[in-house]
Amino acid sequence: MTLGPPVTLAATAPQGFLSPTGVEIAFLLVGMATLGAAVITVTTKQLVHAALWLVVALGGLAVEYLLLTAEFIAWVQVLIYVGSVVVLLLFGLMLTKAPIGRSPDADSGNRWVALAVAIASAGALVWVVVDAFRTQWIDLDGAAQGSTEVTGTILFRHWVLPFEALSVLLLAALVGAIVLSRKNGDAETAEAAGTPTSATDKEQR
Amino acid sequence: MNDVLDVALRLLVVFVVFLTFPLIVGQTEHKVMAHMQGRLGPMYAGGFHGWAQLVADGVKFAQKEDIVPANADRRVFQLAPAVALLPYLLVLVAIPIGPGEGAVGQVVDAGIFFVLAVMGVGVLGSLMAGWASANKYSLLGGLRTAAQLLAYELPMLLAAASVAMAAGTVSLPGILNAFEWWWLPWQIVGALVFFVAGLAELQRPPFDMPVADSEIIFGAYTEYTGLRFALFLLAEYAGIVVLCGLTTVLFLGGWHGPWGADGLGWLWTLAKTGILAFLVIWLRVSYPRLREDQLQKLAWTVLVPLALAQIALTGIVKVAIN
Amino acid sequence: MAPIPGSGLAKGLAVTLRTMTKKTVTAQYPDVQPELPPRTRGVIGLFEENCTVCMLCARECPDWCIYIDSHKETVPPAVEGGRERSRNVLDRFAIDFSLCMYCGICIEVCPFDALFWSPEFEYAETDIHELTHERDKLREWMWTVPAPPALDEAAEEPKELAAARKAAEKLAAEQAAAAPQPGEDPQ
Repeated sequence: MTLGPPVTLAATAPQGFLSPTGVEIAFLLVGMATLGAAVITVTTKQLVHAALWLVVALGGLAVEYLLLTAEFIAWVQVLIYVGSVVVLLLFGLMLTKAPIGRSPDADSGNRWVALAVAIASAGALVWVVVDAFRTQWIDLDGAAQGSTEVTGTILFRHWVLPFEALSVLLLAALVGAIVLSRKNGDAETAEAAGTPTSATDKEQR
Repeated sequence: MNDVLDVALRLLVVFVVFLTFPLIVGQTEHKVMAHMQGRLGPMYAGGFHGWAQLVADGVKFAQKEDIVPANADRRVFQLAPAVALLPYLLVLVAIPIGPGEGAVGQVVDAGIFFVLAVMGVGVLGSLMAGWASANKYSLLGGLRTAAQLLAYELPMLLAAASVAMAAGTVSLPGILNAFEWWWLPWQIVGALVFFVAGLAELQRPPFDMPVADSEIIFGAYTEYTGLRFALFLLAEYAGIVVLCGLTTVLFLGGWHGPWGADGLGWLWTLAKTGILAFLVIWLRVSYPRLREDQLQKLAWTVLVPLALAQIALTGIVKVAIN
Repeated sequence: MAPIPGSGLAKGLAVTLRTMTKKTVTAQYPDVQPELPPRTRGVIGLFEENCTVCMLCARECPDWCIYIDSHKETVPPAVEGGRERSRNVLDRFAIDFSLCMYCGICIEVCPFDALFWSPEFEYAETDIHELTHERDKLREWMWTVPAPPALDEAAEEPKELAAARKAAEKLAAEQAAAAPQPGEDPQ
């Protein structure tokens, strides 16, 4: 999801994997917890528990960003994913009266296909990240390299085109949501508010 | 060692504030609400005008049996009050009450995002409670909470973004350092939107549809008893403190005041927060509850456009003065 | 003229704020006694001396909550050779306040002013049987009956007072007529 810090910002001094610092240990531990929560999310038989474990996984990810001094990204992660997306998920689950306890009929039967897709996308992501950064290390002791100012500068100087493209994508999703909700005979005039939150809310309606 | 002591002291102060301020707001609500209705309110507990009423309530709650419904999802049910309460404690850490490093629990670089993100997490507690109670009223309450959060999170964020644009920073002390008195009229629309959306997010009257007692008993908190119920109530009042503090910091200039800015700035912050808390109570007494469709309509057709207009205005003025 | 939008909201706020500055209407009852109007129907007091056991009250009572026992006594003749008189003596006068509906008919019908309304109201009991109050209790309540409101300035003199005054004036006139005679004697 996040665009990693560009090459120019990372300290280039070579470092070893031995004698890890406290931050690195914390990073690994939180990473393992996040991975565990993510695995439970997709394996648990209880629907709402899956959504709640997703909160843990997304929160763990936010902590990882924090440990990498990417404060802004971390809080946006919490704000959008934990605060809005999961709330939306829970809202949807409650509308379906998700039962307390196991719901075995919620299995789509695509377990193995899903596993294959997950492994493939994970492999692709890991390969891209490893290939892009190799052995570069972030200097955690100096000025924060993921502060709001730095992130903003990078986003609107170097990555402004993808940013705008994403906006268009969201706009398309919004328009699509309105069209879908109209087709169902819902004559309600939907007001346009160009954000993901409002778009998803329209989908719910 | 000194650093450790410093951090511990700050956290202790924040914790004490977290425990006392909501009680003060609650007691004020008891008394103000009573007098606005021509009553006296609590008069016995503690002797003088019932000042210890909430302490007595706390003792009462602690003595009650902690019941978990048989069909409830035990762990989620028991975890929910903590999820509802802790975010407000975290937010309190980041709110500066005076100038300088000494008057804030912890300076957070992306302060606005931190507080708004963490406040949004608090609502998860209500959702968990609503679902895990195995009660249709709780479920309805949870649904309404979720719908309300989705509707009001957006205008709140947009209004906060407007201030961040004006100040050119997203750090709370940074915003206050950049504050000028004429921001007040400049950002007034944003302030109103922020405050109203915040009230809705806290489910305070007149936006208390999710806990509408005449329809769905007490919404997501219907099945709770004893201390866990008290924690939910504490979360609501801590939410009032946090919302009023945030509105003060973002829109009313925090420690800036017409006089006495040096050394007494924290008094200004507290006074403004107190006045806003009074306003919260006042609104509760004065207005009837909004219906669910009115709630959604207010958010999407009034607050969001107003917030967007405020952002446009902020942008224009910002470019003009540069 | 159309009202300004939002004026209703402001009005609502004004109402509550104004109420806050006014005196509250809460009655702090056990701490502060209520100020009752003089005609309060609290409880019924009995002025025994006026009672002739005519039984009107007991008969008129719609829910039969007044219990009266009495016996007759013979009074010796006032003058020698006269006839003996009989007199009713009250043995028991009780009102069951668990039945009483405070209609006040007994007080209205009493021809001898033996029953009165008292504003006293703190006589709750834990047992319903204890709400039947006997004559001594009713007599105690008699002393809590407030004085009747004063008559209008220009009103006619009450008959009792007029009769008493006439009698007193007559006596005074007789005494005045009699008094000079001893004074005249020495002359």
